[in-house]
Amino acid sequence: MNTREWALVAFTILAQMSVGSFLVLGAVHFLAKRKAGEAEADRLSDRALLAIGPVLILGMIASLFHLENPANAYRAVMNIGSSWLSREIFFGVLFAAVGFLFAIMQWRKLASPTVRIAVAGVAALIGVALVYSMARVYMLPNQPSWNSAATPLSFFATTLLLGALAMGAAFSVNYTYLKARRQPALQTQSDLLRDALRWIALASIVLLGFQMVIISADLVNQSAGDAAATVAKIGEEYGAIFVLRVALVFLGAGVFAFFLYKNAASAAKEQVLANLVYGAFALVLVAEVLGRFLFYATHTRIGI
Amino acid sequence: MATQKAFYFDASACNGCKACMIACKSKNALPVGVNFRRVLQYGGGAWVPDPEYPDFLQPSGLFAYSLSVACMHCQNAPCVNICPAKAIEKRDDGIVLVDEDKCIGCHYCEWACPYGAPQFDADKGTMIKCDFCVDLIDQGEAPYCVASCPMRALDFGELDELRAKYGTVSAVAPLPPADLTDPAFVMTPHRDAQPVGQGTGRIYDDEV
Repeated sequence: MNTREWALVAFTILAQMSVGSFLVLGAVHFLAKRKAGEAEADRLSDRALLAIGPVLILGMIASLFHLENPANAYRAVMNIGSSWLSREIFFGVLFAAVGFLFAIMQWRKLASPTVRIAVAGVAALIGVALVYSMARVYMLPNQPSWNSAATPLSFFATTLLLGALAMGAAFSVNYTYLKARRQPALQTQSDLLRDALRWIALASIVLLGFQMVIISADLVNQSAGDAAATVAKIGEEYGAIFVLRVALVFLGAGVFAFFLYKNAASAAKEQVLANLVYGAFALVLVAEVLGRFLFYATHTRIGI
Repeated sequence: MATQKAFYFDASACNGCKACMIACKSKNALPVGVNFRRVLQYGGGAWVPDPEYPDFLQPSGLFAYSLSVACMHCQNAPCVNICPAKAIEKRDDGIVLVDEDKCIGCHYCEWACPYGAPQFDADKGTMIKCDFCVDLIDQGEAPYCVASCPMRALDFGELDELRAKYGTVSAVAPLPPADLTDPAFVMTPHRDAQPVGQGTGRIYDDEV
């Protein structure tokens, strides 16, 4: 692993986290609006929305560090007709642009809610296209450890898992902020927050199970094929990191999420919930970074 | 009909002297660590105890041979298809060229190429690769590697003509399977040539 590959770890994780955050935020806002109306839903999610942009921008800046000739970076979209890498950059820039447009509209309450929902929907679709393109970049015929369905499936699992927990953490920060500002009538916000965290906890546990299935199926698939060297490398050189990666995601998306789910049922435990969701997010973030590190560090290339 | 320039390599004639590699390195003034043409030493087998006198060892299935490999100017070149900057192009005569002014230095072609052809030039900050000595080809002359081989183990020409003359073998171990990229390459295998992908031997020379 060198600086360039760490740049890719940072870019893929941050970009996927921002797409996942956007999707989760949309779902939470939709449900919150049905329950408590537009104003309360906006109060829950508007500040969280503003956190997504900087994460994506940070990821895109990180991606420049993997170019040796960044002066030509604009050329990266030239081969959109046949290169998934070009498509990845294209959808990344487009997601940033439409996402930014939506954030401005939502923050300033421009246009009608219906128009805003339409813009958000377009941004979400572009985000999904971005994560799919990111996965396809690695699915090269001479890269057997990358060239399988496990790559897009695990990228989408990372996207949703990090997105859900990042937004859970952002909602908790937002609630703590509202409370510190002594804003009135926080009861509805408390209810919405606890509801959101309960669903996020549940989603994390389901995604954890999904991820474990992908990881084990991928190992089985690799050990029998051209990518057997990847499994050997994990066993011989990266065993501790692999186990740590699985343990941390279990602790964050399993154990912490379980207690998050339990505690979200009762009122007046917002501080406990906040600590749990911060912890879960931090654990899963470290686990996903380790997982992505292994993705690059143990890949098998056919050829000389 | 589009033509396709190709290399031919005779593994039964090659003695592993690396003159081709050095000629190429010299002509292209390649930096340390970058070699457009590389000579791989592939070998395997073992020394095993003699059944009658176990204190003595005897060779069992020993083999060794050399392969001179450069860019294969593939007919289905992954580098051309995946380069995000359209910096790699295939000429009408099949030669695959990197335009260094367009390269963004992302190393993606390095991942996609099973022959290790595109390599990184730290001074230029771009990828560079074998250009089939286009300057000489365009003047009707032979590439440096072909001209320099003292064993006459290298040849070049149109792929169809080389196939008619030398056959259609284009891969032995440790080369990747030919169906990955359809390389513009024909070879005569060494008598001990090993099948692709079986892992019966290993590359011995770590310098290339």
